[in-house]
Amino acid sequence: MTQVLRNPLKQPVREERTRPGPVYRPDADILERADEYVVLVDLPGADEPSVQVRFEKDVLSIEATAAVTPDPTWIPRHTEYQPGGYAREFRISDGIEVESIRASLANGVLELHLPKTGRRRSRTIQVASA
Amino acid sequence: MAQLDLLRPWGQESWGGFGALRREMDDLFDRFGAFTPVLAARSPFPAVNLYETEDAFVLTAEVPGVAPEDLEISVEGTTVTLRGERKVAPEEGASVHRSERAVGAFRRAFDLPVPIEAEKAEAVHRHGVLRLRLPKAPEHRARQIQVKAG
Repeated sequence: MTQVLRNPLKQPVREERTRPGPVYRPDADILERADEYVVLVDLPGADEPSVQVRFEKDVLSIEATAAVTPDPTWIPRHTEYQPGGYAREFRISDGIEVESIRASLANGVLELHLPKTGRRRSRTIQVASA
Repeated sequence: MAQLDLLRPWGQESWGGFGALRREMDDLFDRFGAFTPVLAARSPFPAVNLYETEDAFVLTAEVPGVAPEDLEISVEGTTVTLRGERKVAPEEGASVHRSERAVGAFRRAFDLPVPIEAEKAEAVHRHGVLRLRLPKAPEHRARQIQVKAG
């Protein structure tokens, strides 16, 4: 199944583009609740138009670019990070309601909610009599 | 510029211990080989850059998930201190499959080469990045000297 999430952040889905500068694998947390998975991804500096969330062939991919960059006239005196892009992928087996995935971005953190399908929510294994 | 202090109360890879959970999750979520990190070195939280202009220093810090009200900035003489906390509400009944994001309190302090006009400092928090403008005390600003024809 190939599907692009329908404007998860109410922004047009952009085409693939080349990315100048470094690309980081962002830190992520994954929580499982009774009815959904929650994925939290740190994307400091990324704004909503730059965030792409896709679901294709059981792979959830997240890409973003930093919109908050230093003024080129500033002289660097101490550098611990280079603003750049972010890319990370997670393979997801079946059991997710792809149509209902929700995404939001606040304070540089992307929050994804992946609802489980009914089948995954309550799975009973039938024991056959001999 | 010297970095005075750094507290890192959280562990590095806290989810590594859940072997059983990890096995259970491997078929659900997995790191995908195609996107190995270009740069993945773990820097202290928050990562801080310092820049200089003619009349100010500019400190930027990556503080994703830290609410502006949970950040405290103080300037004392030539020392700038950034304190804050990234809060994560523990959730009953939810299981944690991956926990890479730093949580807890942090404190970072930087010693600048010249005094700062603390009352004119400005802080902006945008898309999880803090930008702090720290004007130099007037006597320490760069001055252009006009050369007159003799």
